[in-house]
Amino acid sequence: MSPSPAEPPAGRAELFRLHIEPELEVLLRVARTLTGSWPEAEDLTQETLVRAWRALDRFDGAHPRAWLLTILRHTNVNMHRRQRPDTVEDVGILPGARPAFGAAVEPTPEEQIVLQILPDDLERAVDSLDPKFQTVLVLVDVNGLTYAEVADLLDVPLGTVMSRLSRARQRVRVHLHAHAQREGSLR
Amino acid sequence: MITALGRMLSCHFTAKRLQRYLDADPAAPLEPAEARRLEAHLAECDRCSSAAADFRSMRWAMLRLSRLVGPDPAAVQRLHRAVDQLLEEDHR
Repeated sequence: MSPSPAEPPAGRAELFRLHIEPELEVLLRVARTLTGSWPEAEDLTQETLVRAWRALDRFDGAHPRAWLLTILRHTNVNMHRRQRPDTVEDVGILPGARPAFGAAVEPTPEEQIVLQILPDDLERAVDSLDPKFQTVLVLVDVNGLTYAEVADLLDVPLGTVMSRLSRARQRVRVHLHAHAQREGSLR
Repeated sequence: MITALGRMLSCHFTAKRLQRYLDADPAAPLEPAEARRLEAHLAECDRCSSAAADFRSMRWAMLRLSRLVGPDPAAVQRLHRAVDQLLEEDHR
């Protein structure tokens, strides 16, 4: 494959280094959420990068993450992953990219106390969710994607993302409260 | 009776918008008037302010959980090397 005469290789490489490579780790994390395993996530990310490189001439330089997530989605479908995109098996090993809740602030002392209590309970609460709710929750709150990025990745309307996210958080909250009442450990 | 109904409607208004308020996602911002009404309600409703506090705590707990284990650095390095190879092969 030879590059277009109007697009010398160095230019394409610079574009790729500048816009695409910085998203590599986010891609890997999202791929982990979609596939349910790190080895599969690595394969999917690598294939996505290859396809992104081939398609780079169609990238307009804006919103690289959204562009890459679309390629990731198509690549995932084409690779016929055994596990569906709405499968997350073990939320405890999922890493994050950026905090959700746009106006990020440091936790208050009260929140820090809650943090000391929650992680195991939280993991159980998230694991208990229906996969389609769990995936949206993890993509937003753990992987740090925006509503629009999740909608594009899962190929569902924005409203569906918002409603699944809201219901997921409500269910996690109910689960945590029920657990706390049993254990007498929260608040 | 009217006060209770008004409170109930205000709680409903807040519940429907609380996630968007907390997320501040660019795709679904609240109107300034909506945000002001919601904040005013949170200031006077224990039930809704408690829900907001819970969601904030859950957010921090999720974030903490996400930081516990990241991807294997070796896997990230392999992917960077794959990018290097991709670009070098195309350049040849």
